[in-house]
This record gives sequence, C-alpha cells and structure tokens, in this order.
Amino acid sequence: MSLVRAAFVIAAKDLRIEARTREITLVTTFFAVLVVVLSSLSFYLDRNLAVRIAPGVLWVSVAFAGLLAVLRSWGREREHDAMRGLLLSPIPRGAIFFGKAIGNLLFLTVVELVLVPLVAVFFHLELDHLGTLALLLALGTFGFVAAGTLFGALGVRSNARDLSLSVVIFPLITPALLGGVVATRELFAGAPWVEIAGWVQILAAFDLVFFGAGWLLFDALLSD
Amino acid sequence: MAVAFAEVRVKKLVKLYGRTRALAGVSLTLPAGAVTVVEGPNGSGKSTLLHCLALLAKPTSGSIAFGTLDGRAHARQVRRHLGVLTHASMLYPDLTGRENLRFYAELHGVPTSRADELCARFEVGRFIDRAVRTYSRGQLQRVALARALVARPSLLLLDEPSTGLDTLGVQRLVEVVRAERDRGAVVVLVTHDDELSRQVADRRVLLRRGRLVFDGEGSVVAEGAAS
Ligand SMILES: Nc1ncnc2c1ncn2[C@@H]1O[C@H](COP(=O)(O)OP(=O)(O)OP(=O)(O)O)[C@@H](O)[C@H]1O
Ligand SMILES: [Mg+2]
Repeated sequence: MSLVRAAFVIAAKDLRIEARTREITLVTTFFAVLVVVLSSLSFYLDRNLAVRIAPGVLWVSVAFAGLLAVLRSWGREREHDAMRGLLLSPIPRGAIFFGKAIGNLLFLTVVELVLVPLVAVFFHLELDHLGTLALLLALGTFGFVAAGTLFGALGVRSNARDLSLSVVIFPLITPALLGGVVATRELFAGAPWVEIAGWVQILAAFDLVFFGAGWLLFDALLSD
Repeated sequence: MAVAFAEVRVKKLVKLYGRTRALAGVSLTLPAGAVTVVEGPNGSGKSTLLHCLALLAKPTSGSIAFGTLDGRAHARQVRRHLGVLTHASMLYPDLTGRENLRFYAELHGVPTSRADELCARFEVGRFIDRAVRTYSRGQLQRVALARALVARPSLLLLDEPSTGLDTLGVQRLVEVVRAERDRGAVVVLVTHDDELSRQVADRRVLLRRGRLVFDGEGSVVAEGAAS
C-alpha cells in the first residue's frame, strides 16, 4: 500500500474516533479559549497594547492546545497497544507519521477556527490581513504538528510519559513558535509584506525540515 | 491467496534486553501446514520469540528466513503475510469491532468485506457493532483473534490465544487454528493450556531461560514439558 493511501487510512481512522468522542477538539478548544479570556482580562489596558500582546496570546494558546492534542492523539495508539497493530501492517513507517500528522493538523485547525475570531474580538484586532495571518498560522501549525507528532511518538513505545515529552518537544518547536510570534507581531503592527516574507521563508524551511525528519527518522525512532 | 512461505527458519536467535537474556540462541525450523506449540515457564522467552518472528523486536544476533525472504531485508514483504495475536488486543476502544477489522483490512490491502467474512466465521454476536470499550474479556479476545487473520496470513503467531475464552470460544479457536494449518500456514502458538496444546499441536517445543530444551511430536511431549 502506498505511503499516501496508508496515511489517509490512518488519518480517517483518527477523524472517525474524534467525530465520535470529540474529546481532543473539545478539550483543546476549551483550553485555548481559557488562555485567551484570562489573558485579555489580565493584560488588556488599551487598544495599542492589546495589539502588541495579541500575537503572544494567540501562539501560546495554539502551542499548548497543540501539545495537548498531539499527546492525546498518540495516547490513543497506546491503549490496547494499537501502535503495534500499525507497526505490524505492511505499510511504510512514514505513513504512520504522516497519518497521525494529518489528523493532528485537522484537530488544530478546528481549534484555530475558534481561536482567531476570539482573539480578534478580545484584543480589538482589525483582521484586514486575514490571508497573511492564515498563512503564518498554517506554516507555524505545520511545523508544530510535524515536530510534535514526531517526538510525541516516543511516548507510545518508551516509558517516557507525557510530562517528560513536553520538555523535549517545547525546545524543538521554539523556532517555529518564535517565527510565528514575531511575524504576527510585525503583521499586526502594519509591517509591509516584504518584511514578513523573510519570516514566512523561515517558517516554511522549518516545516520542510521537520516533515522530512519525521519521514526519515520515524522508523529509527520506533525500533527498539 | 497462495501461501507465501514453505517454511520459516530461525537461526541462532539471541535477544538481549539490557542484561536479560530473553533468547539465548534458538534455532528452529517451522514448516508450513503444521502447528508448533511453544511452551515454557513464565519469562522463558516465548513472547520474545514471537515478537522476533513478527519483526516487532530486532534480534541481538541470529537471523530469521521467511521462505526465501530475509526478515531484515524484506520486512515489508514479510509483514504482508503475518498474522499476529499478542497479549494486547491492538483494537481501538472507541471504534466498533467491525470498524477495527475493516481498518486493519485496509492497511493490509485486502477488501473490507474480509472483515465481515471474519465476523461471520467467528459467529460474533451483536456486540461487534458496539464500541470495543464495552467488550467483555472474551469478546475482546475473539475480535483480536479475528484481527490476526485479516490478511490470510502465511505465518500465524498466537500468544496465549485462549486467554479469557469460554469452552465454546476455545472450541472455535481450535477449529480456526486447524483450518489455518490446513490452508498451509505456518502456525506458532504459545500456550500454558495443556488441553489446547494437545488438541492442535503437530509439534511441541519447550523453552527454558531462552533456550530450546525440548522439541518433539505433538503427543510425546507432555512429559518433557512437565519435567
Ligand atoms: N521489553 C522488555 N524489556 C526488558 N525485559 C524484557 C522485555 N520483554 C521481555 N523481557 C524479559 O525477557 C524475558 C522473557 O520474556 P517473555 O515475555 O518472552 O517471557 P514469556 O515466556 O512470554 O513469559 P510469560 O509466560 O509470562 O508470558 C523475561 O525475563 C522478561 O522480563
Ligand atoms: Mg508471554
């Protein structure tokens, strides 16, 4: 079975489980909303300041929601040792990585669809560069999901549990988060596209590196 | 589908976990169309042997040849012909039994109708369309066993398959194992259940501390296993 087809079969399985339980999307969205609301209550002073704080709030909630989603999604492979069933299947190992990544990407997209309007309302943003913001969010989320899915898999077979994994994952996704935060800050401050384009390139490069690493390293990471 | 391997040949297999010698040099030829029952006390390396045969664990040294295919070099080709039941069910608790079987059928590249075929063969009840989370121990084991057969395996590896099964369930298991053997599969079964062993074994081997200490015909072995 081809890499692409197997990845979609695995992702479809994750979506089916999520459609039934709603566990990941509900919990992570709730968490992200909480971060936004609490930050707006404690940080909001005036319109100018709000615009400068918003990028941080947006990315912090994406990062934590993303981490929750990735860990829970791998947790489902740990119950009843389902991961072993995947490893026993005659599919390229990379398909497991891409399949899980596609699922995680979609879960996070749902969260962001709620998050962005919410941040806009609470922090009085004028979303006149929605296309660019969507691009930045997409690129940052891609990188985050790639890194998180790759290293989150460590917890399925080893004894490393969720907490210790967060310690590994966060430093690795820092470049993507930094790029995302700074580029969004520039965007909200009204910087022209040429200034943001550099960050877009960095984010895209980060994505390529982590998706490539996931594809190539996944097998080595999982064999004992 | 024709059976893919005429035999599976295990050569001087060693598996170390840290300083634990789970397998200490096991050599064994497993012919097609025969059931080999592996016995031995707890911790003697039975599951480890199965994990190596399933390509889930990498041997520290030694080799396994699946017909003409080498386990390491042709892992994906070999996996296409594997059916494995381990201590865990490998089923997703939030999906139904049928959905789980269909999922694994897809991953093995066989039509999803194979899942329904297996449901019929195992005479599963209505529970098959309930979430696996709600299953009793024996129901779980039945579906886990069906899962192992999804690909019409040439090498069927069963680790304590009778766990949790009632009398009727065990009877079904015996029939299934015999049918798979008659189809020409290499069957390896680990069990502590002497009755089951007597009913299906063409050959019984005994592991102790990672070594093969006995290897004989189905009926003769009981004493060897007991001593
Ligand atoms: N992942 C592992 N890490 C460390 N040690 C292991 C691991 N898996 C197995 N072992 C050790 O290897 C030895 C053989 O274990 P194995 O599971 O093969 O025994 P078994 O014969 O299947 O026993 P049982 O009848 O209890 O199922 C044991 O000492 C066990 O503790
Ligand atoms: Mg065992």
